[in-house]
This record gives sequence, structure tokens and C-alpha cells, in this order.
Amino acid sequence: MINIQDIRDTARDMLTKGEVRTVIGYRRGSRGMLAEPVFITDPAQADDLVWDPTCFHNLSLYLVHDRKFLTHIRQNPGVPVAIVAKGCDARSIVVLLQEHYFKREDIYIIGVSCEGTGVVDERKLSSQLNGFQASNAAFDGDDFVFTTAEGEKRLPAREVMADRCLECRVPFPKEHNVVFGEDKTGRQLEAPFAALTRFEAQGTAERWSFWQNHFDRCIRCFACRSVCPMCYCEECVVDSITFPVTTETTAEDKANRIRWIERSATRSENITYLMTRAMHLAGRCTDCGECERACPVNVPIRLLNNKMEREAREQFGFEPGASIGGPSLVASFLDNDPGQFIR
Amino acid sequence: MEKILDKKQIDDWINALTDWEVHAPMLQDGIWTYQPVSGAVRLDHPNTNQSPKGFAFPQREIFFSFEQIKGEPPRLTQILPKEQRHAVFGVRPCDGRGVPRMDKVFTDHVEDPYYNARRKNVAYVGLACNKPPSPNCFCLSVGGSPVSTDGLDIQMTDMGDRYFVKAITETGKAMMAAGGKLFAEPAAADQKQVKQVHADAVAHPQRKINDPDGAPAKLKANFDSPLWQEMAQACIGCGICTFLCPTCHCFDINDEVQSKAPMKGQRVRTWDNCQFPDFTMHSSGHNPREGTGARLRQRVNHKFQYFHENFGMHQCTGCGRCISGCPVGIDIVTVVNKVTEHAG
Amino acid sequence: MSEQQNYEPKIVAFLCKWCSSAGSDLAGVSRIQYPANATPITVPCTGAISPMYILSAFNKGADGVLVSGCHIGDCHYIEGNYLARRKMHLIMQLIEFIGVEPNRFRMSWVSAAEGAKFAQVVTNFVDDLKPLGPQDKLKKAERA
Repeated sequence: MINIQDIRDTARDMLTKGEVRTVIGYRRGSRGMLAEPVFITDPAQADDLVWDPTCFHNLSLYLVHDRKFLTHIRQNPGVPVAIVAKGCDARSIVVLLQEHYFKREDIYIIGVSCEGTGVVDERKLSSQLNGFQASNAAFDGDDFVFTTAEGEKRLPAREVMADRCLECRVPFPKEHNVVFGEDKTGRQLEAPFAALTRFEAQGTAERWSFWQNHFDRCIRCFACRSVCPMCYCEECVVDSITFPVTTETTAEDKANRIRWIERSATRSENITYLMTRAMHLAGRCTDCGECERACPVNVPIRLLNNKMEREAREQFGFEPGASIGGPSLVASFLDNDPGQFIR
Repeated sequence: MEKILDKKQIDDWINALTDWEVHAPMLQDGIWTYQPVSGAVRLDHPNTNQSPKGFAFPQREIFFSFEQIKGEPPRLTQILPKEQRHAVFGVRPCDGRGVPRMDKVFTDHVEDPYYNARRKNVAYVGLACNKPPSPNCFCLSVGGSPVSTDGLDIQMTDMGDRYFVKAITETGKAMMAAGGKLFAEPAAADQKQVKQVHADAVAHPQRKINDPDGAPAKLKANFDSPLWQEMAQACIGCGICTFLCPTCHCFDINDEVQSKAPMKGQRVRTWDNCQFPDFTMHSSGHNPREGTGARLRQRVNHKFQYFHENFGMHQCTGCGRCISGCPVGIDIVTVVNKVTEHAG
Repeated sequence: MSEQQNYEPKIVAFLCKWCSSAGSDLAGVSRIQYPANATPITVPCTGAISPMYILSAFNKGADGVLVSGCHIGDCHYIEGNYLARRKMHLIMQLIEFIGVEPNRFRMSWVSAAEGAKFAQVVTNFVDDLKPLGPQDKLKKAERA
């Protein structure tokens, strides 16, 4: 059991002593039941911190924002930033450390194990509520009780837990400075990659029909990219609007800059964007599920990234977010990598 | 023209609209979207995931094609949308109010031929909100109401087993006439009931902007406030708030080139988004709206100050989509309230 | 079905400079007859091929994409083709996952001395692509 007061006390303590300059955590949002990210610099605000199954955000994204900001203002405060991290979030941090995005001593990880409770999937909840929204949630043992405009609805946790939580093997944040909660799973879980296996049972035509329908809906809001801690490139390959210029860059250069895909949210461009993103995340995505959660039109983006993760594990024995040292998936190879497909 | 339509006959009415391609909200993959009608229509949706602004202002439209045949000057061919009337059912009053706000930009302000070619062919059939469809609705705070008819051609009110159907424009009248005998004259009891339904709707609690009238001046006064960066700290710079909004209308124009020799392609307009980090990026590399605070300020000011200064009304219609859609909980009601309460 | 008979698949072939591109030159110099459907793009090494190139080739209308490089152990840059083997495996899996016919992407090792093999690889590829018809899933459409 997590006692939220422990997390609050830790945050207050570290801020008061000046051991960290900010604590990135969760607080109750203004939209009813959902938590939202909070950036605490004043010890008195530590009591705003909350911990419950609506804390689904991957806060390691803000470590990236922080790093970019410090680079931009060319300052190094020398004091670490603290972050409340679930097991999945801690794995994202490991990947960022593996890629030397920041130094280990620049961050202080307040690990919190969800102990297998997982987080709520707003989509699943919404479909249970016929597209209406809940304004309040109470967690009652193995059930969730939601309040909506139509009244109260009680749902077993398993029906509204995120797929990735049902499939999660490691709810415990292995990389941490301090950790709350135990290394255990509390509920009956699905097999790893269960959602992916269900999808791959289909043939080529059915797969295309599935994806075609989803890619048609994508509006290229780029929320999937914006919310991903690993998508930290200053200029994205598929959105080459930012074009590095000097005083010598001619107008013709600017007009003829490489454009991999068009801005139009048409099917072909949307597919190219999402597949490129999946490739660029191969071996780096730790299945925090934020891309899929953020998508306003319910494209099952996680399936794409999951496919790459499964290939990495099964074909190349590679596990993203497992250890800070070691090479990345696509910058390394094994002598016995599969090669039968090569003629 | 006010009539009663039995709920069981709504499909018959829609079938009678033979001149129109009819769209209604359908639940697909967990979200409500406007789809061409192909089966029974129920109108029991909250609000749609995206606003109906796409009917007059689509995500992508082609302006003209260009082609260079050797030895000749380049050939430009304007591509106007094909003449097809669209009737959109189930439009909530907040989205209805969004329509004249879009019109202000694309018809009153400047005559955009592409927007107008589509706009004149779209009819909005509204559905009053007996209860707020979203926990984030706040239409009453911005001069709207759950029973507003602004921007709509017809207003329908759900009365249990039947609809009270009221024509607002000549187009609405013609659409109702197409339904002929499907419509019945409202009895005195119907008139009384619809008044009560509307009164109850307006009395239903919603979220509240505390000082909407004071917002323009307060936003102006707080332009340089550090509050903006504080409120935008969680912002990830995606495009959800803007793309889902019924009144956001910024766009980008690009040439999509099929081949360079011979030169062939189209000039295309697509939605653009002031929340994208490179929206205001200059080709020199300088960006006047560098941080998320500046971009949040831009959007909120556009909705509650600049539009008000230009047109005398708030651009925001209180649909709440930006609040529900934001992945990190940035909430325009909280933001405006914070700024209006802040001294400065 | 004369349209079907006249259909010639367009292949984009990424060939590494040191082996496969030289191999294709040898096929030409040796006057080996093989279908002219492949547009060659020379890259320094298959290891330098970004998966974006494959996707972009399909996006621009390629019916098939071929990647060809040095045999394992013979890479001019020592390790490039080992990295390619991994990356191309991933992109191939992803293409199949989306529901694009897996036969549209092909990879081969062709050395500078294997002109005949190169010709054979392209011939086989064209034969395998013909029944699949034009690729329109990832291809950028002209109109919406």
C-alpha cells in the first residue's frame, strides 16, 4: 500500500533542504477525477501531490523539457530535479540515461510502484459510459465507482485498466533513489503482448482494413510525438518545417528543403509518419502508453510500437529500459541475428 | 415553423432529404464522429469528438493544380469543391455558435471562395442540450446557452419520445417541408413542455468563467505576467486543443509537387496550429513565441481578447473540447479565471 | 486483362556502392538480359540506409523496394551490413504488420563479382511483384 503522505513528506523534505530544485509529480486536476502534472518548487505545495490510478502521465517527458530549457538558457543549476516515477516511467528514464540525454546525478527518482493496480484507461471507461465522461472516481477495492451525468457506475478494475497495465511484467521502478510500494503484482494479468497477439492473428487483408480505417482518422495533431519522452529531436524528420538556416541560405534552398511527407492529413502521409515514428522508437519505446492515450481520435498507436518491442525482445534479445549501460538496438548487432529473409 | 416529429420517424425524414447528403454523429472506435448516414439515426450522443467546422473548412483542401507542359506557360486550374449539399444533424448549440464565428473570418472579413463554396451548401440541424453533454461545458459563461439557435438552420429539442423541431432559417423551413406529413402540429401541451425542457436546460449547473466581461481588459493587462509560463508548464505543444475547437481556423498553404520535370502538383490548404512550436518560427530561426507560456497566452487571448476587440464577441463557445482533449489537463476555464482574478 | 499484362512494376533498388552497385554494373557489362524495372540508387553502405528511405520509396509510388549489399563479413566498412540486417528486418516486419504484402520488400547480398546473381534477383523480384499489382496503400494520392 502506498501512503501518499510519505511521498509528500519526501518532496517537502528535499525541497526544504535544497537537495532538489523542483519536484515533478501529480496533483488533482480541475477536470474532475483526473490527475495532472504539477511542478513544485515551494515546499508548502508538497501537500498537493496525489497518487491514484488516474496518474497515467509519463512525467519523464518533463525531464526532457527541463533539459532543453537549461540548454537553451545555457545554465546548469547543479541541483537535481526530482520526479515521481511509476515502473513504466522509470524505464523511460533509463532509456534517456542510456542515450546520455542527461546525467544520473541530475535527477532524483522518487519511485512509486503501482503494485499491479495499474492506471485507468480513459477510452475503456468512455466506452463503458457510452462516450460520456466521468466527473469523479472512487476506488473501492477491486472496483472503480464512477460518477457521470447519468448517475453512478461501478466497474471491475480489470475492465477499465489500461492494456499495457494488464500486460505489464514489472510495475516496480527498478531505477530509483527512493521507492515506495512493493515489488508485486496485485491482479491477474494478461500475457505479455496479448493485445498484439490478438491483432497478429489476422491476415494481410484484415490487417490493412484495420489500419486503413485508423490512418484515415489521424488528424496529425502530433500529440503522440509531443507526449513521448523519446521523441526529443529538435527537428522531426517528418515535419521538416524547421530548416536550419544561415545568412548564406538562399530562398531556393528554403523552397526546396527536403520534405519527406506532406502536411495533409491523408492516409498515405499519416501511415508514413506513424511507421517512421515506430522505426525511430524501435528498442527505445518502453510502452508507457501515452501516445495512444493522448491520441484524440483513438488510433491504436501503441500496437505499432509494441510490435517493434516484441521484435526487439524475441528476435534480438533486446529489452528497452532494462539497463543504463549498453548499446541501442539499431546501433548494435549479434552474429546470430536472423538473416534467412536475405536472398 | 414549429412542428413535432415522432422519434421513430427521424429516419423517414432523413430519407426524404433526397437533395442532401446527411451526416449524423456515430460512435466508432470509441469516439463520436459525423458520418454519412447509412442506417438508423439516434441522436443520443454527448458531443462529437471534433466540431463540425470541417464541413466548411476541411483539414485539407486543394486550391488549384499546376502543370507545365513543355513549351507552354504553366497551366493553373482552380479546383472548387463539387456542388453537393450537406445536412449535419445533432449539432450542439456551442458548435452552432461556432459557425457565425468562422463566417466572420472567412466571409464577413474576407471573401474566401473555397470556404464560401462549401459553406453555402451546409445546413446545420441542431440538437438542444437538455443536460450538459460534457462535464467541461461552459456555454453560458460565453454568451451562449444550451438552447441557443445561433448559427443553426433547425433546432431540435428532445422531448422523450418525440422532437420539437423549429426552423430557424429558410433552408431549415425547406428541409422540414421535405418531410411533409411526417411532422405534426405542436399541441399547447407540447409548447409548454418544450419551454420547461429549455428552462431546465439553462438552469442546469455548468462550469463557470467568473468574469467573462472583464476578460478582455484583464488579459491585456496581464500580457507579460509570469502566470502564463506557470500555467503552461505541463503543455506538450501538441495540436489537440486547436484542432478540436469549433472556432480555431489557422491554416497553412503548401504546394504538393508530384513531379518536378515536367512540373506538376497542387496548392493545398491544411489546418495549422498555433500550439506547434514552429508555428511562428521565422526563416531566420528566431521564434517570437518560443515557450509554451507564450503560445497558451496566444490561444487564450485570441479567444477572449483579440476576437472580442475585432468583432465584439468572444470567439470561444464553451464546448469544453480543449479541456477534455488536453492530455495534461490544461484547462481554459481555470486559466481565464486565474488571469481575471490576478491583479495587474 | 491486357492492363494486367502491360503492368510493369516499378522497383526502387538501394544498392551499396562497393558490392551490389558494382555487381549491377557487371551484369550490364556482361550483356546479361534482365528486366529493366529497377531504378538504382547507390548508397555508400546498406548500413547507411534509413528505414525512411524505404517508406519514402513506397510513398512516392514504388511497387517494390530492393535493398542489396555486401555479403556478411565482406562489408567495406566492416560492420555496416550487420546493422542493415537488423534494421531491414525491423522495417520488413513493420511493413507486413501494417498489411502491405511482405513480398514487396526484398533484401539480398550481391557481391561485385555476382553480375548474374543481380540479374536473377531482379528477374525474380519482377516476377513476384507482377501478380500483386500496383502498390497503392502507402502511395501518396494526387487528390484527397
